[in-house]
Amino acid sequence: MDSAPLIRDEEVFLRMNLAERIQHWLLISTFFFLIVTGLPLFFYDVKFFKLLLPTGRSFYVRGIIHRVAAVLMIANLVWHLFYAALTRRGRDNFKEMLPRWKDVKDAIELFGYNVGLTRFLQRRGIGKKFFQKHPYWLFEKHPLYGRYNFVEKFEYWALGWGSLVMIFSGFFMWNVELSLRLFPLWVHDIFIIIHGYEAILAFLAVIIWHMYNVHLSPEVFPMSKVWLTGKITGQELRLLHPLEYEQVLEERRKTLSAEAL
Amino acid sequence: MTGDKTRRSLPLIMAAVLFVSLSLSASAQSDEDCLTCHGDRDLKSEAGKPLFVDQAMSQGSIHGQAGISCLDCHADLQKVKGFPHESPLKPVSCGQCHETALQQFDRSVHQAANEKGTSGITVGCKDCHGTHEIKPKDDFDSPTFAINLPATCERCHLEKVPSKKGTGFIGGYNQSAHFKALEKSGLTMSANCSHCHGAHEIKSVDDPLSLVSRKNIIKTCGTCHVGIQRGYLDSVHGKDFVKGIKDVPVCTDCHSEHEILSPEDINSKVYSTKVALVCSRCHDDIALGRQYGFLTSRLKTYNESFHGTAARFGETRVANCASCHGFHDIRASSDPKSSINKENLPATCGRCHPGASRHFAEGRIHSTPEQIDTAKYRTSHVVKSVYIFIIAAIIAVMLVFIAADFLRRVLRKEKHG
Repeated sequence: MDSAPLIRDEEVFLRMNLAERIQHWLLISTFFFLIVTGLPLFFYDVKFFKLLLPTGRSFYVRGIIHRVAAVLMIANLVWHLFYAALTRRGRDNFKEMLPRWKDVKDAIELFGYNVGLTRFLQRRGIGKKFFQKHPYWLFEKHPLYGRYNFVEKFEYWALGWGSLVMIFSGFFMWNVELSLRLFPLWVHDIFIIIHGYEAILAFLAVIIWHMYNVHLSPEVFPMSKVWLTGKITGQELRLLHPLEYEQVLEERRKTLSAEAL
Repeated sequence: MTGDKTRRSLPLIMAAVLFVSLSLSASAQSDEDCLTCHGDRDLKSEAGKPLFVDQAMSQGSIHGQAGISCLDCHADLQKVKGFPHESPLKPVSCGQCHETALQQFDRSVHQAANEKGTSGITVGCKDCHGTHEIKPKDDFDSPTFAINLPATCERCHLEKVPSKKGTGFIGGYNQSAHFKALEKSGLTMSANCSHCHGAHEIKSVDDPLSLVSRKNIIKTCGTCHVGIQRGYLDSVHGKDFVKGIKDVPVCTDCHSEHEILSPEDINSKVYSTKVALVCSRCHDDIALGRQYGFLTSRLKTYNESFHGTAARFGETRVANCASCHGFHDIRASSDPKSSINKENLPATCGRCHPGASRHFAEGRIHSTPEQIDTAKYRTSHVVKSVYIFIIAAIIAVMLVFIAADFLRRVLRKEKHG
């Protein structure tokens, strides 16, 4: 057994299959176009957008691109929902994505581990008794993740919630007459505010949170290639998704012992 | 009108002139006598000034056709016996016959400038009307013919006599809708200089008697734009204008003065995407708002709306100030006849949004939160504040998380090499 490890570091695992990657590519491109064609409305005074949309005609085309991108993004979302419901892999991934109490703990533990304040206090001899009794609060170990860590789960569900809000408010902004047949003007005003600020939140979250985790983080810098190839190595699986690694290992041990019998 | 009066008295004047010239004919020279010298194309004074008088032109002039001879105007020659006569002659006094015109001219800004003498330029009848070749103002070739008049005035007013408002100010007329109608379409009723400023009696704009003074401009523009004048006088602006409130906009405040363009012209100040800038000059002025009790922050709140944002990017098919508020006949929202009165809003919005219902009136179109009286109409502003707080909090947490993560990784790398 020791001579041939069950998971070699060079072994290739499929993290994102083609369908998942296409969904991600579609999401990136529609998100990009929605942001570029939407932000000018929010930052109408910024020179750059004035250069981007020099005429009333281009402003009109901007609106069309925005709506086409929106429809494509919704179609992508519907595809993803069917995919998550109707395929085995989709269902498995979706189950893995479900938020658990562990994710909250992971977030706290990671932050505590990164900051290291409690370890610092302990070294200084502060709260010795407390830490002897509750060594958990020293956060001496990095939390261990399964297939999806709390960062990825947060992104996934933020995207889901954000999409709902944007689709709902955007639909009524697209159909002003319908909206104002159903709601008074002050409600329609809320849709407009929500659509704009939710977009800003999504944009900032992606730029800051997602870009750090998949590009700038020293772990993956300059870029994680999973979104292109869909593959990760056995080593990456062991380091980044230790619980999933353990699971695979366990399964292989079982098959091996079953074979041996 | 002065022209009519002069024309009516013309036969009388002509008879008098004829009588005088007949009685003097024994001693005085005939036109032919004058032309023996002045018919020579090369005749020049010692100073080099050409002294040629084109017989065809002077006889073709209105004076020539009426039989007015050289000496009738150059009256000081009547007593001269020896020729060639002394020069220069006295300036011709047109007022001998054209009394009213002269009286008006004497009270004009032109005459005032002549008397002041600071500009170094004097202006008299001949500078606008010409001399020997003088034509009536309805003659196509007359310098005072409606289509030719702008060029005549601009001989001085384009460069030589600068306006207080800058050099391009008067030349702006040449870009105007009025000039286009005049020059391109030959519409002689389209406003030229004298339609607005008057002719002989022309006054400085600061003179309350001037046709273009704030007091008179509505009436002056209304001479042609009658329907607009009526609408304006019914409007909230017009009513205050009649009361004599000086801050109220008159025609020229929105449409500019010389360079008046059609509202469809992209360079017009009242072009659909630009009119907001015109209105907000007063309607965003906090001092004026306080004095007259209207809401400010109009431009900002309009710009924030889809209508305003789109207009800023040059989209013309969105509502501008005038689309909802009207323009000449603009009224306060409390006025039942106002297009933005609560009762009329569905109809007003419905012009662009078919089927607009009462819901369109249940909210505030452009108001800052402090300006909104009904609590629920303020909800979107509350939502906005909540969002700003949430965004700031989430982004702050993210940044702290990232900073901690980044530092730990860098530290670990240093430790383990």
